[in-house]
Order: sequence, then C-alpha cells, then structure tokens
Amino acid sequence: MVAVDKTFKERLLDFTFHCRERQFVVSPQQTEEAFEISRKGYLLDRKMFQYSLKAIYCKRKEQFDRFDELFDRFWSRYYEEKLEPRKFRSKPKAQKPEAASIIFLGAKFPKPQQEKKEEAKQTKGANATTRLRYTDFSKIEVADKEQLEELAEALFHQMSMRFKRRLENANRGSIAIQRTIRNSLSKGGWMLDLAHKRKRKEKRKIVFLLDVSGSMDTYSFYLLKYILVLKKYFKSLEFFTFSTHLTHITPMLRHNNEAEILKQIGSGVSSWSSGTKIGSSLGTFLAEYGNKFLSQKHIVVVLSDGLETGNVTELREAVRTIRRKCKTLVWLNPLKGMKDYQPIQKGMVNVMPHLDAFESAHNLDSLLKLEKLLMDV
Amino acid sequence: MNKEIEALIQSFYAHDYILDEALATSVFLLQNLEKPILLEGNPGVGKTMVAKTLASHLQTDLIRLQCYEGLDVNTTIYEWNYQKQLLHIKLFEQEKDRKKLGDQIFGMDYILKRPLLQSISAKKPAVLLIDEIDRADEEFEAYLLELLSDFQISIPELGTIKAVSKPLVILTSNRTRELSDALRRRCLYHWVDFPSKEKEIDIIHKKIPDIDEELARQVVTFIHNLRKSSLHKPPGIAESLDWAKTLVLLNAKNITDEMVKNTVGSVLKHQDDINFVRNKTVQEFLNPVE
Repeated sequence: MVAVDKTFKERLLDFTFHCRERQFVVSPQQTEEAFEISRKGYLLDRKMFQYSLKAIYCKRKEQFDRFDELFDRFWSRYYEEKLEPRKFRSKPKAQKPEAASIIFLGAKFPKPQQEKKEEAKQTKGANATTRLRYTDFSKIEVADKEQLEELAEALFHQMSMRFKRRLENANRGSIAIQRTIRNSLSKGGWMLDLAHKRKRKEKRKIVFLLDVSGSMDTYSFYLLKYILVLKKYFKSLEFFTFSTHLTHITPMLRHNNEAEILKQIGSGVSSWSSGTKIGSSLGTFLAEYGNKFLSQKHIVVVLSDGLETGNVTELREAVRTIRRKCKTLVWLNPLKGMKDYQPIQKGMVNVMPHLDAFESAHNLDSLLKLEKLLMDV
Repeated sequence: MNKEIEALIQSFYAHDYILDEALATSVFLLQNLEKPILLEGNPGVGKTMVAKTLASHLQTDLIRLQCYEGLDVNTTIYEWNYQKQLLHIKLFEQEKDRKKLGDQIFGMDYILKRPLLQSISAKKPAVLLIDEIDRADEEFEAYLLELLSDFQISIPELGTIKAVSKPLVILTSNRTRELSDALRRRCLYHWVDFPSKEKEIDIIHKKIPDIDEELARQVVTFIHNLRKSSLHKPPGIAESLDWAKTLVLLNAKNITDEMVKNTVGSVLKHQDDINFVRNKTVQEFLNPVE
C-alpha cells in the first residue's frame, strides 16, 4: 500500500469531475476504485495508472478513444513535477491547430465571432449544456463544436434507451393456451408454467429524405447523427439525400461504426452543399422507389427549408402523391426555429396543405422533441 | 512496466495470445478489483480468446454462455428438474405432511444448474464468458445485473444464493446494439481494436510457425489494406490466420492474383466484398500500410 497524499487525492477528484463534465458517467464507486488502485501503488507507474483509469472510467468506445488525450492533458504536469521530477523535462505543449473552419460532410462551422455569440447566450443564467441544447446548429462556433458533439451523443443515447423501453413492453399479454398445453407435455400434462403472449409494439417503417444543399448541410449532419442512433428501432429505414438530384444512401448505413458511416456518406453524396431542386428530387424518389418504399405503414420525413429553385408545381404534385401513398408525412424545416418565421416561400406554401406535421429541427432540443412524433404517429 | 503486468503478458504469450499493455492492465484489474470486464470490438479481433487464454493461464474452468435473442432464466441460470420433482411426488404420494414434501422438492437437489449458477457454485473461481451479450434481449441484461454487481443469484423458492467463489466474468459485444448504462456501469471496459501490423505478424508467426516471413508480411499488409476499404465485413485476425494457413498449405511463397482469386473465400464472407477484391490487382493491396 502507498500513502496517497492530499494533493493527489484532490487531483484525482478533480480529474473525476473533469471527466464527468465531458459526459463520462463516473459513479462514486468507480472513484473509490480509482483510489484503490492508487493506494495499491499503481499510480507510480504512469502507463498502468492511465490504463487502469481508462478501464474504470470509460464505458463506451467513444470515451475510450478520447480518454488518453484527456488523461495526458490533465496529468502530464502533475507527473512531471510531482512523481517523475527527474525523468521528464518539461516539453513544449503541442500547439492545437488553429481551427479556421471545420468541415463535416461539407458543413462549415464559423470561427468564433463576438457578434455571433449573442444568440447563444440569450438564455440568461443557463449553463453550457442548456445553452448548447437551444443553440441553432448553423450558429455553433468551432470552440463549442466538440462539446455539442458530446452533448448530442449523450442526449441521443438517453433517447435511444427510452425508445427501447417503449418498444420492449415488459407487460405480459394474455395466456397463450396452445403454448401452455405444449409446454405441459414435458411435465406429464401438468400445467406448471403458464405461457403468455408477448405484447410488443410493432416497429415502424420510415423513409428519410434529407436536403443537403448549401443552406441545409449543417442541419442534415445532425439529423443524420440522430437517425443513426435510432436506426435499430425501425422495422425498415430508408435514407435518401437530395439537392439537385436524389441519392439512395441506405446501403451505407450497414456499418456499425457511426464515424465510418458519416465518412462514407460524405464521400458518396456528390451533391452535398449545392443548389436545391426539391420537386424534381421527390419526383425521382416517387418514380424509382415509390412502389417499394411507400405504403400505409410508412412514415415519410422530409428535412428541407423549402427554398425551391426548380418547378413549384412539380414539388406540390410530388408531395401530394407522397402524402397519399404513405401513413404520415412530416416536414422538418429548420427555418421554423427562427423567431417570427412564416412559411410564405413559394415552395412551403404549396407543400403545407399536404403535411401531417410541420416541425423545426434546428437545435438539439427540437431534434429530441421529434422522438414523441416518431413514436406516436 | 509493472512486473505483474509483464508476467501476465508473458504468461498469455506462452498460451499463444499476444496481449498489449493496456489490455493486460484491464485483465489484471479484472482479477484484482473482482469486477467484470466488458470487451467490445469488431468481430474477429480476439475478444473470446482473452477469456479462453485467461482460463488456461489460471488453470481453471471456462464456463461459456453464448447469448442469443430469447435467452431466459431457464437456459442461463437454473431450471427446476420437473421430471425428478414429479417422480418424487409420485413416490411420496402417501406423505401427509404437505409442507415437508414441498420443502423436499424445492431444494438444490432438484435444480438443474445452468452456466451462471454453475459459475458461482464452483469451488475454484472459474472464468465466466458471456459471449456476444449484444445478441441477447434487454430483459436478460437485467437478469445479469445482480450477478455482476453482487455475485449472487436470487431464486424465488430458495432465496439468494451467494457465490462460493467469485467468478472472473468477461462479457463480449460486437456492438450490434447499444447495451444499457446499468450493465456498463458494473463493468470495466476495454475496446479491443484490430492489432497493429507488427503485432499481427507476431500473431501469425506464433500460431503458424512454418510460415515464411515474407509471406506473413504480405498477408498482413494485404489484410490491413482490405480493412481500410469499405467492406461489409472487414476481415478479423481469425480470417488472417485462416488465409495464412491456406497459403501455407498451398506452398505459396508470394501472394499472386491467381492465388487471391482462389483463396479469397477464407478472408471475405460477402459476395460484394469478394467481387470488390477480384476486380483489383494484388499490387493495389500490397502497397505499404501508412
């Protein structure tokens, strides 16, 4: 056993809080385990201490990938000054590359600018989490991007668990007579176990049509992430992107690795961040995929700002036909999140009469509200 | 490196498993903190082998529970031996003390132990491998929570059965679905990634000592480049070994286009992936991995 000094205890506690702020779920029991390995003397071996904390604090791959950097940033100085004073010379800190603009699937995040901070800080007294939850995706700054990603991951995960609980209805259904009799045969005809029918909510079939034109790509990126979390809760999920033409991207969703999916979609969709021809794209969808993916069991979700540059009549007819052929048609328009927005653009005016639901999808909060819509329709 | 970790790595090496320091630390903590470990990773990276090797290293039993959808208490924890109970009732039909009869037939003698109950009843700590937990239902995860945190199992008719010896529990998952937070919280965690090129060459040499050094290098380079391509199912270590064995059997000295066309089935398991490789030349996959 090694006596753990007070400074170290405080440092370890600080590290635990530091991890919690970054969406690591570290319980008091795990903190206690971290102290235990310290008391056993493993803290003297930096690598071992690092790997031990990694095994204890990480609970999923995304955390596992980030942990080493987090640990190094937090503990380097302490190890150099307190535990390995002679072993290490202080190294110049690696300069973080200046993020001029980060491009995700064509989505550009603006540089921090004083004037753009105004909206993000509108919620007075709110903490960073609440602020980010209500900030429009297109106004997210580079500095906040990483934190938003972490928050989105955590919130989407919580939502995913809620989805699962609703689908997996634990309540037993009525007694299944046939199965009970069949089961009793192995017990000499004695009905010792009653078999029950299972009540399961039927998974829904859903089709997403995402506008990835220049004005929409940031929103599409986050909606994509959202859908990837939910994909397993739908019986069938079909996924299309459009701007000037339609691309069927469902085959790219076969991977389990979310980063790989996003990378593939980014490279596979050639029309990302270009103009918008909604009517023509929806027309192509109807002609090529309509018979296969539209039925009275399908929910169709379109994400678009409705700023049509093509033929408006074509758009109206396409939307009318889709509505007729599907169970529910939902239109997500991020512009709806803007104050005083009215759907008065030509595209939206023609589309509105045929919609079952018209929602915004401009920030994390509005995405989370879609959960109810997708489950209850 | 810590001496205990080094000894563990060496012992695993002697049992044909090449551990890296991070995974060795996790396995070491599994033994010392008496907490289960959840190993996640792509199929074929050697998660199951960790449990098998640990059991050989500790010279103890490996109790394996292969998960699938619909797994329930009867197949994983215990089941009453109904035939034996009915026989007992027939034999003691004249017994007037009904309570005594009830106590007799609901005892440990009338229980069929399934893997989880077996693991906590063993005299010597066993290695319990709960393989591919992501294939099981959420309800089964809930059954596991009591075992994973307290090493005990509750049987309504008998009460709580505490572990005679605490098993070393290893859970594996291929991430085909998200596991619950409650389960993750009770486990240590390690993501098992594909090995580095050098490590994979070592693994091949360790498992197939007859292989030519150049051929082993070519196999690993080819496989690493394949993993970078967008395949339905990237090849794991098991596939590398299968392919290397096949090539050795065919007395190959180098990988050629012809050889790939004839043997690619031992590496790739999807027709689209096979076509993808057949439409390219070997040289494209033998460029050095960055």
